Formats: sequence, C-alpha cells, structure tokens
Amino acid sequence: MTGSPIVSARDVTRVFGEGDAAVQALDGVSVDFPEGAFTAIMGPSGSGKSTLMHILAGLDRPTSGTVAIDGVDLSGLDDGELTELRRDKVGFVFQFFNLLPVLSAEENILLPLSLAGRDPDRERFDQLVDAVGLRDRLTHRPAELSGGQQQRVAIARGLISSPAVLFADEPTGNLDTNSSEEILGLMRRAADELGQTIVTVTHDAHVAATADRVLVLVDGRIVQDAEPKSAEGVLDLMKQVA
Amino acid sequence: MAAIALRNLWARRLRTFLTALAVVLGVMMIAGTYVLTDTIDRSFDEIFTESNEGVDAVVSTKEIVEFDDGSLPPFDASLLGAVRKTPGVEEAEGSIADTGVAIIGSDGERVGAGGAPSLAFSAGLERFDPLTYSDGRPPQTDDEVVIDFGTAENEGFEVGDRVELAGRAGTREYTVSGLGKLGNAESLGGATFAVLTLAEAQRITGKEGEFDVINVAAAPGTSPDRLAANLEASLPDNVKAETGEENTEAQKQDINEGIGFLKTALLVFAGVALFVASFLIFNTFSITVAQRTREFAMLRTLGANRRQLIVTVITEAFAIGLLGSALGLLAGIGFSSVLEALFKALEIDLPAAGTVIAGRTVIVSVVLGTSLTVLSALLPALRATRVPPVAGLREGAVLATPRQHRIRAGIGTVLALLGMALMALGLFGALDPGELALGLGAVVVFIGVALLSPWLVPPLAGLVGKPLERLRGTPGRIAHENTVRNPGRTAATAAALMIGLALVSFVAIFAAGLKGSIDEAIDETITADLYLANSDGFSDIPAGAADAVGDVEGVELAAPLRYTQYAKPDGSKGGFLTLLDTAGAADVLELDWRDGGSDELLTEMGPNDAVLDEGFADDKGLATGDTFTVLTASGREIDYTVTGTFKDKTDFIGDYAASDANAAAYGEGDNATNVLVKLGDEVDTDSVRGQVEDTVEEGFPTIEVQNQQELKDSIGKQLNQLLGGVYGLLFLAVIVSLFGIVNTLALSIHERTRELGLLRAVGTSRRQVRRIVRYEAVITALIGAVLGAALGVIFAVLVSRPLADEGFTLTIPFGTLLILLVLAAIAGVLAAIGPARRASRLDVLQALSYE
Repeated sequence: MTGSPIVSARDVTRVFGEGDAAVQALDGVSVDFPEGAFTAIMGPSGSGKSTLMHILAGLDRPTSGTVAIDGVDLSGLDDGELTELRRDKVGFVFQFFNLLPVLSAEENILLPLSLAGRDPDRERFDQLVDAVGLRDRLTHRPAELSGGQQQRVAIARGLISSPAVLFADEPTGNLDTNSSEEILGLMRRAADELGQTIVTVTHDAHVAATADRVLVLVDGRIVQDAEPKSAEGVLDLMKQVA
Repeated sequence: MAAIALRNLWARRLRTFLTALAVVLGVMMIAGTYVLTDTIDRSFDEIFTESNEGVDAVVSTKEIVEFDDGSLPPFDASLLGAVRKTPGVEEAEGSIADTGVAIIGSDGERVGAGGAPSLAFSAGLERFDPLTYSDGRPPQTDDEVVIDFGTAENEGFEVGDRVELAGRAGTREYTVSGLGKLGNAESLGGATFAVLTLAEAQRITGKEGEFDVINVAAAPGTSPDRLAANLEASLPDNVKAETGEENTEAQKQDINEGIGFLKTALLVFAGVALFVASFLIFNTFSITVAQRTREFAMLRTLGANRRQLIVTVITEAFAIGLLGSALGLLAGIGFSSVLEALFKALEIDLPAAGTVIAGRTVIVSVVLGTSLTVLSALLPALRATRVPPVAGLREGAVLATPRQHRIRAGIGTVLALLGMALMALGLFGALDPGELALGLGAVVVFIGVALLSPWLVPPLAGLVGKPLERLRGTPGRIAHENTVRNPGRTAATAAALMIGLALVSFVAIFAAGLKGSIDEAIDETITADLYLANSDGFSDIPAGAADAVGDVEGVELAAPLRYTQYAKPDGSKGGFLTLLDTAGAADVLELDWRDGGSDELLTEMGPNDAVLDEGFADDKGLATGDTFTVLTASGREIDYTVTGTFKDKTDFIGDYAASDANAAAYGEGDNATNVLVKLGDEVDTDSVRGQVEDTVEEGFPTIEVQNQQELKDSIGKQLNQLLGGVYGLLFLAVIVSLFGIVNTLALSIHERTRELGLLRAVGTSRRQVRRIVRYEAVITALIGAVLGAALGVIFAVLVSRPLADEGFTLTIPFGTLLILLVLAAIAGVLAAIGPARRASRLDVLQALSYE
C-alpha cells in the first residue's frame, strides 16, 4: 500500500500575526504521505489541521520548513507556478462552495482542464462520471443538484486531471448520513482502484475510520500517527490525545 | 439608525466614493454651466453698462425687421440737427457702431474667432467714449486707428504699427494710435474692435452721411426719461429714442437670449449625465441592499421595524447625495473653465471676467443632486424592508431575486411605446413646446427600455458572449454566465451606458444625414464654378466684390446673392428670402420649377416679381398671378406679384426669391451673402481662379473662394466641429456610466469572493481571473452599446421623419456605429482594470473562508 512519498513536509511551522498577538499554528511538523495512501488529519478546533492542509496543498506558505509535492519543492515557486502546480498536481474538495454556480455539472468537472487549455480525456471523464453516478445530471447547474450530488461533482472535478494528490476539507461536513456514506465510498474506491493519494481533514471519526492512516494534531504538533481499525478505534485515539 | 447608516458608509468607503462620484459628475456639469453662463452674462453686463456711461439717451433706427443677428440699418446723418434742437439736450453726437470691419492679422487673414463680430466704432467726445486706453490715445486723423487690447496681444501689434482693416468699402492701412478695452473684459469673446475717426468709420463701413446711433447727454435739470420722451416726440418715425439705461438693458436682453440657448443646451447635457447617474445610484443601492440581506434581517430580529430600515437606507442615500452635490458644486467651478476651453476649441471664445457663483447655482446643485440620489435609492430601500427576520438565521440566505414579473415587462413595453409616441407628437407639432415633448419622450423611452432590458440581457449577452467564449474559452464562458446570472443588475448597468451611446449614435446618424442632405442640395442647387463667402462662414461680404470679380478676365459673370429677412406688413416677424441678380442668377443657380416654370422667370424678373417656394406658396394659398406685400428693413412696403413656384427641399432660398433691384430697401445695398461666379467656357479654370483669388485678397480679405467640393468640405468641417462639441458633452454621461460598470463589478466581485477563491484553488491563474472580470465588463458594455445604437437608430429615424419632405435622407453610418461598439468594448476593458486587479489579488485562503 505504501510507496515513495507524494507529499512531504519537513519542520513546517506557521505563525499567524506578530509580536504578542502571534499564534503558533504549526510547530515543527514533519510528515510524508506515500503514494496511494488515504490519510485523515484530525484534531480539535484550533489544532492547526486545516492550516497544515492549506500548506501541504500550496494554498498557504509555511513560516519556516519546506513542503514538496511530487518531488517539487513549493518554497521556490511564485504565485503563477503555484497556480499551475495546483492545476496539474492537486485536486480539491471543500465543505461549502465547491462548485461554480454559473457552470453546469459537466463544465464544473472539466474546469481545471479547460482553465489549463487542455483537451479533456473523454475516457477518464466517462469513467469518473460513471463512478460518481452523475451521467443523467451533467447538464444541471449546481443549484439544481442535492448537496450529495454537488459533492460528487466536486470529487469528479478533483480527480479529472489525475492529480498527484487529492485534498479534501471536511468533505462530508455539510451532508446527511446517506450522502456522507456515498462520498466516503467514492474516496475509498479512488484510493483502492485508481491508487489515488488522498489527504482529508475531518472532525468525523467515521471519515477517519475509512482512511488508511490517521494523523492527530494538537497545538500544531502531530501527536498520533496510527492505522484506524474502526470508528470506535479512532474515537479511542482521540480520547488518548485528550 | 442614522448612526448605523453613516457607519456603513464609512466602512464601505470605496463604494460610497464611487456612488458619490456619479452624483459629483452630474452636479459638476450643472454647476459648471451656471457658473460659466453667469460669468459671461456679467462680463457682457459690464461691457454694456460701461459703454453707455455718460449717455442719457440713445437714438437708433427703429427695428422693423427683427434680424437674427440683431443688426439695425443706419439712419440719415441729418437727424443730428433735429436732435440738437430738441429741448433738454446738452450735447449730442452721431456715431458709427458696425459689425463688419475686420482687422487683418500679420498672416494676412482676418483676426478673431469664427462666430464673433468684427466691430468698428467712431471716436468722438470723451464723455461718450466707452473705452479705457491701456496705451496711446484715440485716433485724431483718418489714418489712425485704436484696436482692442486682446487683438494687439494676440497679433503682436503695438502703438505706431501699421495695421490693415477690411470693411464694406474695401481695405486700407492705418497707424495704431492706441489700444483699448471695453469695460474690464480681457477678452471680448473672440470679437475684435477698431476705432476710427467718424469720417473714416463712415467711409469704410459704407455709411457715408449716415449714423448707427446718436448719443445724447441731458442738460442739467432734464431727466433721462424726459429727454428720451422729448426726442421721441421731435424725431421722425424711422428712429426711436430710449434712455441710456433702457438701451443697456435691451442689449443685455439680447445677449441673455443668446446665452440662454447655450445655457439650456448645456443644462440638457448635464441633465443627461444626472439621469445616467441616477441609474448608477439605483443599481448600487439595489446590489448593496441584496448583499446586506442578513444584516437587515438581523436588525429585524433585534426589533427594528420596516420604517427604521427604510430610514437607514435613505439616510445613506441622503449623505451620499449631499456629499456628491457638495463636491460636484466645487468641481463645477473648475469645470466651467473646462467648458470655456471646450468652446474655445470650437472657436467660440467667450468673454470672461472673474468667476460668478450665484446663490441659485449652489441651491440648484445641492437640491437637485441630493433629491435625485434619495429618489433613486427609494425603491431599493423599500426592498430592504421586505427581508423576513428569519433570513438572518439561514446559512447563505440571499434575498430572493426579484421575480421578473410579466407586469414589469408590460410596463416597460408600454413606456417605450408611450415615449416614442410622445416624441412623435412633439416632432409633428401636436404638442407645444415640441422640444420638451421630444426630450421627455426620450427619457420615457429610456426608462421603458431599461425596465425591459432584464429580458433583453440574456439574448444580447449570448450575442456578444458566445463569440467571446469561442475565442477565449473558459474565462469567456464564466464571464458570459456571470452577466446573465443577475440580468436585472447587468441590465441597469448596461442601460446607463445605453443612454449615452443612444444619444451619441443618434447625433452621429443625424449629422451624417444632414451632411448628405446639404451635399445633395449644393449639388442640385448651385451650378456656379466658384462660390465667394465670408471666411467666418456666415457674415455678409461687401457687394462690391461681385463687380471686382466680374471684371476678372475669364469670368463670365459674378452674381451676388443676398439672403435676408422681411417682416409682415403689420410689423410682425416674417421670414427669409433671397434677392437675386436677375441677369445672372439662372446661370449659377438651378431651381426645381413647378407648373411649367423655367429660368426665364428669373431672367425676365421685374422689381416687383417674385417666385415662391412651394411650401410658402401652399401655406399662404398663393398662386401665379396673386400678389402679396412685405415690409422691408427700411420700412418700405413692397408689393410682389407671384410669377412662379419652385421646390426648394433644403430651404436654400427661403420663402421667395426676388430681384436685387430693391436690395437697398431691404437694408442690403452694400452687402451680399455670397457671390456666385461662373467661368467662361474655354478658360483655364485654375489660372482664372488664381486671378479671382488675387482680386479678392487685395480688396476683400474677409472673402474666401471655394469651389463646390470645397464648399461641401467646409460645411462638413463646421458640422464636425459642432459634433465634436456635442460628443465632448455627452462624453461626461458616458464616463458616469463607466463608473456604473466599475461599481457593479466591484460589488459583484465582493459578492463572489468565495467563488473566486475556489477558482483560484482549482488552478485559475491571476491572469485568468482578470480576464473573467474584464470580459464581464466588455459584455456588459457591449450590451449597453448595442441597445444604445439600436435606440439611436430608432430616434434618428423618428426625428428625421418630419424632415423627409425637406429632402432629409437618412443614411445609417454603419462604420461609425461599429467604431462606437469597439469604443464601448474598450471602455469596458478600462472600467474593469480596477475591479479585475482587486479580484486577482484576493488571497485564496481568505477568499475561501469568506462569508
């Protein structure tokens, strides 16, 4: 299941603000995410888990330390190069506001490719559309889709460019139980069948239990790095931390 | 609640500023217009008051025909004796005040701006002398002249220099004996003046043995009123006497009428800018109210009632309106000099002495600007009150986009049609005043189309958006979709631009039609080889030029043409006519005869024969053989017998044409409007023309020689100059509407912050974000431009309908309209610069977590 690291962080710190008001969000985090692994990052509010994901994804820059995605050191990249890297190597799924309201489901899925000016790989597109079960919803606008359907479109969009890594920020945070199940199943299958590297931030022990690996962050440090057995096991992990 | 409103304004400074800017621009133009025209008014007041100082009564010719240029024929000098014998007269002096003596500059061309008069006065008694001498002294011999200070400055003339003047009696050189000013005016609005001895002034103006005015001073104990009454009683009927004050007032009145037209025209343009600004204000408030739904809902849950919400929004509007008006007023004072510069560029130099800021200017500016802002915000304010309190509690609640009621479309259609009907009624004279009905109709059409435009936006956005998508891919696609996601917003933004562009394209189309019609009229009516006219384009030329040019070898004939006015026998205003040189007219003019008429009607025309314009004949029920009577400027009645009718589509001739045997009776003995020249059959055109030009240059330097093509070109040039001025003034309205685009974009981007964050997160480059915003602006601008151009065409068709009988042929200048569209697109790009930069600089993370 594990291979060479697709994403790696070394001694990453992130300080917000200055002087007395300075807050240390990340405090020397070093971690590798091997190819094909589905990792969940957990932790209480303010633990720095979202900050870590933002930095790993190149959305934010560390105060010190380095991050590399697929062998590319992010610290040397300017905004334009980071944008290109996001377009080519990173997929995103967010909790809210995942889709562009003015585009159809199909256009949303193809957005990263059309922005890059690349022709879509029709085969992959069909494969993804069938995998997320949206064949009959392709011409609909986001407003005409349910929350679960919207999130499925987001996952298909995240995977369309065959990214090195897919980042998900509370992907089920806004969904009912059934829809959550579907989304988790999709992510699991992406990891198993496509060998997709996935990193997700979550509060939900159920999500973490679906992953291959759980990282627990407290006060900007990784305090646990384990393989979850079940949702109960994850909860136990969290309790130990607390 | 007022405090909340003000804090809101401060918190959203940029938006407040942009909205206020629209008010500023509109008010600026109103204030600028008032300041400029008040300043001009006062300058003329000073000039007139100054020039009548020491004059208790003025004797001048009684106005029989009310000439458009306000000129009066002279009267016989022998009247001076009668005046001097009148009881109560201490001293009286006859003098010349003429408008046709040009100063020839160092370059050999006349000095002065196109439209301004070239004045000449006779020097005389010091007590009546209106001049202030900045250098030198009054002329003492017939070889001396005093010229105005402004001309001396511009042309580098000094006391002792030789300077050439050109009057009705030809040209002559004089020595400058002094420089003078009228009142305090540094500039006379492009006018020049020359002061000569009485005898020389009479000679060069062709008024030997005549005076234009007699200035009278009262003996001690005689009041000016008494004096004027005495004079009136003792003088013959062809002259009138008035007090110095009355005369000053009458002159002021004349000028005020002239300036009144300018003022009205400028205020109309200011009104257009304000009208456009009100769209912008309405739109801004609509968007911000929608964006603040949650805030309003929160206030509602806290117990604010609807009235309080309205008060909040209206207070904001009031503050913006007041701020904008105040700034606009200040800007207007500066803008008046911009207007002045604009007119100078159009060769309309206006006299200016000091800046006049009347109380009326302040009040009108502030009241108009503020009330318009409040009025525009009223509808959005009412909408704010419809926010249900629960909206504040729902995640991502937005005010339901106002459903596009069919009723609204119905009202829009009805208004648009009603407006056009109103315009038509105004045009065809069913409503009075027609101009007002026309303007009001246009305003109603604009509002109607604006109401309709939410329906027009999607198809139009498709029209311009689809090609953009094909060319520009995803950013184009997203931009296109963004313009139609809230059609009402795009519509209001585009409608603001539509107004400016509709007027611009209307003017362009109309001017093209006018130019075409004039060209056609010249082609059809004038068969002369050369055309002599005053180089200022409208003043008379000395009639003697016809004889001089006629003597040039190779010239077959030179026929003077006198375009002048008559009055009805009862003294009421008549119309225009042309006096012809009956022997030559048929060779240089081509009339479209009716009822079997032929050119013999001209060659065999007697002094009491007249040929009538068809329209005039129909109007008066006159047919060949009938007679009619007119009153001429000299007070003489002339009976005419109708000998034929012709069709004159462009009204080149006027109501009728008659023999110039009676020119003197019309007060045009020495003047001609044009001289039409026919060259011999087998002569070298170029060399004869050269000789004609030499002759003219020597004796009549104010005359310009043109052939048919040059005549058309110079009319085209004048028309273009006028167009330039109109475009310049409409430009302001267009600028206001561009602020509208900036404002709408900025607000929309603010609203879509999270969307932009998402776009950036999934790999949209900053450049692509900028493109999305820019294309949205371009599409919006093009929607406005297309609507505007379409309305412009409709207006032009409508307005030219009644002119069709007069030969007005409408041609749609597609090239010009296309250029307008391109300019609109460029304007969109410019408007998008700021918002696009802002959008592209959004921090991705902050944008994503933005609420």
